Amino acid sequence: MREKTIRWAFWTAVLCSLLLGTVLFSLCIGSVGISLKKIIEVICEGNTSTEYSILFDIRLPRIILGFAIGGALSIAGVILQGMFRNPLVEPYTLGISGGAALGVCLNIVLRLNHTLGLFSLPLFGFLGANLVIMLVYSLSIRRGILKIQGLLLTGIMISFIASSLIMFIMAISRVEDLHGIVFWIMGSLEEPNWFLIKLSVLVSILGLIISYRFSLDLNAFSLGEEEASHLGINIERTKRSLFVLASLLTGCSVSVAGIIGFVGLVVPHFVRMFVGSDHRILLISSFICGAIFLIFCDTLARTIISPLELPVGVITGILGGSLFIYALSKKQAVLGGK
Amino acid sequence: MLEIKDLTCGYDSEFLLKDINFRIETGELVGIIGPNGSGKTTLLRAITRVLKPRKGSIIFEGKNVWQMTFKELAKKIAVVSQNFETSFMNIEEFVLLGRIPHYEKFQFLETKKDVEIAEKCMGLADTFRLKDRLMGEISGGERQLALIARALAQEPKLILLDEPTAHLDITHQVGVLDLIKRLNEEFGLTVIMGLHDLNLASEYCQRLILINEGRIHKIGQPQEVLDFQIIEEVYKTVVVVEKNPISSKPYILIVSEEERQRRGK
Amino acid sequence: MKRNKILSISLFSICIIGFYFLLKLPVDSAKRIEPFRGPERIISLGPSITKGLYLLGVENKLIANTTYCISPPEAKKKEKIGTAVEVNIEKVFNLKPDLVLATSLTNLKAKEKLKNLGIRVITFPTPGDFGDMCKQFLELGRLVNKEKEAEKIVKNAEKKANSIKKKVENLHRPRVLVQVGTKPLFASTGCYFINDYIEFAGGMNIAKKAKEGIYSREQVLKANPDVIIIATMGIVGEEEKEVWGKYKTLNAVKNDRIYILDTDELTSPTPVSFVKTLEEITHILYSGK
Repeated sequence: MREKTIRWAFWTAVLCSLLLGTVLFSLCIGSVGISLKKIIEVICEGNTSTEYSILFDIRLPRIILGFAIGGALSIAGVILQGMFRNPLVEPYTLGISGGAALGVCLNIVLRLNHTLGLFSLPLFGFLGANLVIMLVYSLSIRRGILKIQGLLLTGIMISFIASSLIMFIMAISRVEDLHGIVFWIMGSLEEPNWFLIKLSVLVSILGLIISYRFSLDLNAFSLGEEEASHLGINIERTKRSLFVLASLLTGCSVSVAGIIGFVGLVVPHFVRMFVGSDHRILLISSFICGAIFLIFCDTLARTIISPLELPVGVITGILGGSLFIYALSKKQAVLGGK
Repeated sequence: MLEIKDLTCGYDSEFLLKDINFRIETGELVGIIGPNGSGKTTLLRAITRVLKPRKGSIIFEGKNVWQMTFKELAKKIAVVSQNFETSFMNIEEFVLLGRIPHYEKFQFLETKKDVEIAEKCMGLADTFRLKDRLMGEISGGERQLALIARALAQEPKLILLDEPTAHLDITHQVGVLDLIKRLNEEFGLTVIMGLHDLNLASEYCQRLILINEGRIHKIGQPQEVLDFQIIEEVYKTVVVVEKNPISSKPYILIVSEEERQRRGK
Repeated sequence: MKRNKILSISLFSICIIGFYFLLKLPVDSAKRIEPFRGPERIISLGPSITKGLYLLGVENKLIANTTYCISPPEAKKKEKIGTAVEVNIEKVFNLKPDLVLATSLTNLKAKEKLKNLGIRVITFPTPGDFGDMCKQFLELGRLVNKEKEAEKIVKNAEKKANSIKKKVENLHRPRVLVQVGTKPLFASTGCYFINDYIEFAGGMNIAKKAKEGIYSREQVLKANPDVIIIATMGIVGEEEKEVWGKYKTLNAVKNDRIYILDTDELTSPTPVSFVKTLEEITHILYSGK
């Protein structure tokens, strides 16, 4: 077992250094290139130069948010894939993103962000997400038992309904609102409000810590619910807790940053190929890997066609998808669960 | 040790176990037999809290099973199931899962003691040599042994097995059952197993519970239960019951249609 | 069990520290915006604003605009900081503007972010009518210290507009549809200034009372406009004209009165270009160009 712990520690260290590297890379790159040496100079100089502001007021918030959201979505993906024992499940399958998008849509169309302030946008998103969570949950619970298949189907259906409602709202809205809605849906790590950024970080890290409480449960879950209960896992309580945890992580992420797809689906699979399916290492590795991935994609998104910016979801989709297919074809696929 | 009182339970559809009553003493090796669909698995599920009883109670060492936490129950009763989803872990990790009920509240890495116990159990079940092989790669018989090793790692007082010999060849059938018998005699492990093969049941079990159509048809020693009239009544097929020349236990001989016709003439 | 206690206490304390960090620790919140002294470095985030700045003669102070700002032609050569919707914040910040002029299309978060960085951002929402447009132009003039010029331009434009209105006062009023979007069909309703193009020119906007959103072709057929003006660019406009051509019962089709106008001029006007377009439309309505 000593060997296993060493192997895990090694992987965690590797990923952490990769994360650091990606952060530095992202700090250096932009419409104004700032070399590493300059960064150190700037930090020493202090709060005066333009470069300082660029680094710490423009790039760093995006990086930190990318860390939080990438991590949160990845572990939400790990949790859901472990719970559903289905490799195609990802945080948006349960309809949470649809609910959040619907909330934001309503806010934009009803001009509530003008009256209530910009903070109301993510708030509405979060409310919308929660509504869907409660709906999906209550529709899937029968006599105290949470049916996994029910969750999946209900979530997918609600996703569709939400999309249709959003399209309906888009069809009757003004042009400028339309732009606002579309750009929100496309997802962006640009967030002017530091409070929200800090909140996201807090939620993500708390989520990671809490998920470790269930890491063994998730391992047992891979054998099926009945087997897991034989191993002493209280499956109903575990299912409920995991569902709420994953939903809140997703809800918060979507409310703040919009819909950034692929992260929650691809990162867990990719990480599994290297560290295996044991959730005790999978959770932390996916968190860090997800953070690296999102920060990297965001860096590309804001520099590839400078001065124009691509929505980060475009890069995560293309890059994530291609990387995954490539890795799949090279290595013997070790998809968890099946 | 285990007492079932007036148990009635079942699924949403018609089928129900009705008025089940029996007791199992510590150290016994009991077999549950009966035709397909008679309720063997249902009974085992009821005992392990998978199925909620409509009526009646299941008392283990004086405490109602439904009043224990899942963890408590798992430390006392271990289950070896028939089939489950294969997972991508190796045997060692699989057996270590059996230690989960014994983990402390915030512990999520196995301790040295856990590893030792797991290795001991693997040794008992003769799977130590397989410990780095993946679960999906080993044969059915070896998987059954791994399951038993995991159940042992839970350090239970009672072990339930659901058709442990299904789909196994003779070597493995005997191997598994010999292991179970050894665990029962040397370590005092109480065993309840559901078997479909009457001869194996007869050979290895101290007592048999015969279930038919959801009710207990007969409880007793193999000689009492495996009587040709009872078998014909329950299984609706003609058999001849002889004494096994080696162990003196009852031995069921099936009578094929051809034979029946020949004898008829 | 003692180890458990220690663990849960430490976990709890981590949470408390987390909350403290969240609420108390100051991070660079909104910087103070410098008092205004008259802009020397202006960035425009919309085509109509760019045009306005050129009209007022302050184009030398314009340091950057969007990729949508194609008129006047010199504007294309300026530094680009994004589209009319998305703004490259880093670039804007690096250019150190003292005034950024946004439209209602500009991304709200981007505006907020710029304000947080200490940059003065003024938004000019889409004008509801010609009167609004003039007011905004005056405001623009005031912002760039060209009040007198702005007043002159606006007075001139108002005079011209009024004279056109007078000219067509007693003529019969043709029914007009101005289409601002194809696939799906978007008609200009009474909410925006485009309505004024129609009414000042003496026409009647068939979609005036309609609600926002996609307009149904059936409604158009029912209303049977005499003139259809399509405001899109290039091939799409021609295609749409052909589509209308299929509906032979429409007056506009019968009399071959479907026109295509340049969308940039139509939808991002200054008071001056408004009048110019107004003259065009009046001409279309009454002489069947």
